[in-house]
Amino acid sequence: MKIMAIIKKNKLIVFVAAAYGILLLASPDQALQSWRNSIYYLIEMLQVLPVIFLLTVVIEVLVPKEMITQGFGEKSGLKGNLLSLLLGSISAGPVYAAFPISKILLNKGASITNIVIILSSWAVIKIPMLANEVKFLGVKFMGIRWIMTVISIFVMGYLMALFVKTKDLPKPEMGSRENVLEIKQEYCIGCGICAKLLPEYYEIRDKKAVVKKMPQGKLQEAAIVETADKCPTKAIVLSMDE
Amino acid sequence: MDIFTIIFWVIAVVLFVVSLMKNRNKTLAAMKKSKSMMGGMVGEIIAIIFLIGLVLTFIPPESIKTVLGSSNTFLSTVISAAVGSVTLIPAFVAFPLVGSLVDAGASIVPAVAFLTTLTMVGVVTFPLEKKEFGTKFAVTRNLFSFGFAIVIALAMGVVV
Repeated sequence: MKIMAIIKKNKLIVFVAAAYGILLLASPDQALQSWRNSIYYLIEMLQVLPVIFLLTVVIEVLVPKEMITQGFGEKSGLKGNLLSLLLGSISAGPVYAAFPISKILLNKGASITNIVIILSSWAVIKIPMLANEVKFLGVKFMGIRWIMTVISIFVMGYLMALFVKTKDLPKPEMGSRENVLEIKQEYCIGCGICAKLLPEYYEIRDKKAVVKKMPQGKLQEAAIVETADKCPTKAIVLSMDE
Repeated sequence: MDIFTIIFWVIAVVLFVVSLMKNRNKTLAAMKKSKSMMGGMVGEIIAIIFLIGLVLTFIPPESIKTVLGSSNTFLSTVISAAVGSVTLIPAFVAFPLVGSLVDAGASIVPAVAFLTTLTMVGVVTFPLEKKEFGTKFAVTRNLFSFGFAIVIALAMGVVV
């Protein structure tokens, strides 16, 4: 049963491994060739994924949610669309590198339209690629294709928002997890640091801190962890269900 | 590494150091979070990369030339768009390939369809996109991208 569950969870990996296994038996040359073809993309991945990892951390820590909502949210309008186009165009790396970034922006309040614009422009519009296109196909070809692509991406962003709603997206894993926040009353000295840092979650009643509400979603988790660390008697306990 | 990737690295590292200095604990917590989010993706990405290797073995870039250069423009446009959707050829291979064909007098409509779906439609990356954004999002986005690639190609055929 357990093996089946693992296979089911990693369908793609199992499928590709099986394909290579069969090919290795049937035609070792082609298997080797496929392996060699993959190396280029593996190197590309190793060059880009660490950067994406750092960027998701940076966005999480340095960019407040309001800023994302304002810049990329439902009400960001044309300015938000242009910002998304810019973000997608100046980025580096293959489209799958855009997935984590888009996801974190989505969780922080970006609209579907803008996510589609980011993903599409990330995939299609790359400055080194445009230069390459000019070299082999000419400025006119590149320019016209670029203009048409940008228009298509914008139209697509708006069309997508008509068909796909936020509820169709998978719930952020963060929100589905049960977080339990508690304050051990016997340790609390009522210093009030937690209530000062996060008045939304803590308040002081009868010289002891109490939890006002449970954290919803992972976004607040980092802030809660911080208050737990700052608590002088370590009375704040956040237990997370993985 | 091209210059853009290097700039990307520099920006990311600088911002990361800033965020570490500004709020060490929050940064560490965010790292844990990103690790769990991306950790789940890495296995899939590696599988996708090896899948691309397989696809390239069976649909080598040279074979795409025959499709792109075929005389029936409508049929070759649709087929080119489909081939572009399933393969992932590095840009520095795709542009010279298409350039040589256009220079040789082939129609640009299938060429543009191919170049656009090559990057915008991802059949190989579909499983990952589906996992991250849901089936409806992934299907709709890829279908629209395919459709618009054909529209862009036809329009290019008129304008250029």
